[in-house]
Amino acid sequence: MKKIDLHLHTKPSQYSDSAFVFSLPKLKEYVEKLAIDCIAVTNHNLFDLAQFNQISAELGITVLPGIEINLEKGHLLLISENAELEDFETKCNQVESLITSESEFITIQKLKEIFIDLSRYLLIPHYDKTPIIRPEIIEQLKPHITSGEVTSAKKFKYCLKDTNSLVPVLFSDLRFTEHMTVFSPRQTFIDIDDTSLRAIKTCLIDKHKVFLHHTEGHRFFQIFENGQKLSTGLNVILGERSSGKTYTLKTIAAMYDNVKHIKQFELLETDEEKDKKKFDELLTTKQSSVSEQFLKEFKEVVEDVATIDRKENEKRIESFLTSLLKVAVEEEKKDVYSKCTLFNESKFIETGNETLKQLVEATELLIENTQYRTIIDSHISKKVLQELIVDLMKKYEEVQEKNLKVRWLNSLVVNIQKELQSSTASEHIKDVDFYTILLENEKLKKFENITTQIKKEKVIEQTDVRRFKIVASTKRFTGAQELKNKSGIQQTAFSIAFPQYDSPTQFLDELKKMERIPETEYYKYFVDVSYRILNEFDAEISGGERSEFNLLDRIQNAHHFDLLLVDEPESSFDNLFLKNEVNEQIRQISKTVPVIVVTHNNTVGASIKPDYIVYTKKDIVSGKAVYKIYSGNPADPILKTIDGEEINNYNIMLDCLEAGDSAYVERKQSYDILKN
Amino acid sequence: MIQPTLNENNRMIYLKIENGKGHFFKEPDQWIEIDQIGKEDLLTLLDKAISDDFEMAEFDTDLLQNKAHQIIYKHLYQKFNELNENKNRFKDESEQLYKSAIEKYTEAIQNDGNV
Repeated sequence: MKKIDLHLHTKPSQYSDSAFVFSLPKLKEYVEKLAIDCIAVTNHNLFDLAQFNQISAELGITVLPGIEINLEKGHLLLISENAELEDFETKCNQVESLITSESEFITIQKLKEIFIDLSRYLLIPHYDKTPIIRPEIIEQLKPHITSGEVTSAKKFKYCLKDTNSLVPVLFSDLRFTEHMTVFSPRQTFIDIDDTSLRAIKTCLIDKHKVFLHHTEGHRFFQIFENGQKLSTGLNVILGERSSGKTYTLKTIAAMYDNVKHIKQFELLETDEEKDKKKFDELLTTKQSSVSEQFLKEFKEVVEDVATIDRKENEKRIESFLTSLLKVAVEEEKKDVYSKCTLFNESKFIETGNETLKQLVEATELLIENTQYRTIIDSHISKKVLQELIVDLMKKYEEVQEKNLKVRWLNSLVVNIQKELQSSTASEHIKDVDFYTILLENEKLKKFENITTQIKKEKVIEQTDVRRFKIVASTKRFTGAQELKNKSGIQQTAFSIAFPQYDSPTQFLDELKKMERIPETEYYKYFVDVSYRILNEFDAEISGGERSEFNLLDRIQNAHHFDLLLVDEPESSFDNLFLKNEVNEQIRQISKTVPVIVVTHNNTVGASIKPDYIVYTKKDIVSGKAVYKIYSGNPADPILKTIDGEEINNYNIMLDCLEAGDSAYVERKQSYDILKN
Repeated sequence: MIQPTLNENNRMIYLKIENGKGHFFKEPDQWIEIDQIGKEDLLTLLDKAISDDFEMAEFDTDLLQNKAHQIIYKHLYQKFNELNENKNRFKDESEQLYKSAIEKYTEAIQNDGNV
């Protein structure tokens, strides 16, 4: 078994790195401390032969020449045999000359032109790691690509399980500088005897030959540079107060990028009222999609009716009627201009073609759909549909042509009317578009109706989260202050708008007068959506239950992370909840995400059935605190440090979880007495 | 039956000036004074104007003394003249959206027909 790290940096590239000064001694320390058998030097878009030779001479392990190339918007490691280095350098120089900014990349075509025979190299794309090489690019580079780089033990395990994934590899991607203090334990173990490129390539086509740990396969991964391992499942850290448990968690949290850390007491309530408000706000934000979804259609309605200018419409009708009456009275006095038919001619109204457009789209869907082809074909032939769509499109064009014509004519008529009207004192009939005005009035009536309906308070959605229920209900606004809170805008008063709240059209008119409210948000002020969490008895949850919900919610969300750290969950909860809910949830999530739980509590520590136990201990050696980590499987009688120091597991469990052997026995006796 | 007057090129005239007044030809067989023209008449005239066979007698204020007729005739004459340069504009513009789709499906119908 060999431990390899084929992705590390020794020289900053001008365009892809922040500047750093490479330290060869640090690289040497890294290789020795983590017992690495083979590395590849993979700088961004460059290869420095002189530096490479220096590194090779100094390290005494296999050092392979490589380059990390910006390829098609992703990154690709290209690693060569340790031979014909001048030729490799020339090729890498070509890459370097082509990439002159961070966003530039070379194409597959260019890659092939430069490196000619890709089968001579080991190609490893960023796979579950940004910036990724897209699947279609990987496909085009097959068979030269068999493995892909990932960023965590979780992703590594996922790729191994997924039959369609490439062979995963985990590398450090470190930049070695003088002042670095910790080394990332991200390396891959591979089942080979020698570290030649050929042997590594052969290995990286087989998922059974890559491992996270040299003896434990994928069940374990190395967490600290001293070789300390942890389970890729569920780990429990035990230890007395101030023995370094929280410190250990913090160190891990700092070492990894994508970690969910649920801190001690984080979920404990301090100020109930404040806490409830914060919780309600959080819930509202998290659930806002429910409200968005519920109000989606209403939003469209409001946006549409908001464009209606009722006052203007009324004015137009009035001016039409006034002018009509005047024209009638002046009928006898008509002159040569006002006698012209066009003098009082109304405008053409264009024909709406939205329905036709929708029909064309629907027919197109029927023609193009492949999923339900058989059903469609069994009722109507494609030919008929094609004839239909052509007819519809032609009709659309006809309507469109007519509309263009009437638009052209309207402008002609308006010009003639203007000139005729300016030549006479006779009154002319003011133009009014009754159709649009009537349509708008109908829309407003519908809007009033919909608003009345939507304001009726009711439950709109109910989601179960374990024993809790999130209930979303609509709620009427009860005052101007609530509207203001909803807007989140400081200098806005709803005191004029709110009295109109029960007359939707007038209320909308008032909202339209408020400059600070964007048109797209009017819909939010008609009805509010509130969220409540109920327990299994349909009662509002208590403060304690709120914390429980918080914890479960956070554990569930940890799916998106590479590592979940939970520090003393018992600080906030009772044993029954820990056993029934928390333990089960943690166990469940540990099947996909490595979990580390720090605890003193026997319900968590003992009943959770961990995969691995870690015991932290503080010793004072010559007046100085020395922190030790013992670990082992739960069933092991002995826990060991990396240096081989041993401690009795049974004693640890009783000391940490039951306050010692005598307390345990005493407690057991008390329970027995009660029982009998 | 009254026919629209033909000009020297045998093309049909739809707007003319007679007795100091403008007239337009309303199908099937009427010459009507231009102050009586309404919007539907305009639409019919427009359809004629974008066909090839459409001519107008030149706008001439000496011949056309009626002031109201002058206003209407002038506007019609100008606009229809402008249109003459780009008769296909309405058709072209309206065919933009579905042009390729109609070609595609028409071709498909024909191919299916051949099978």
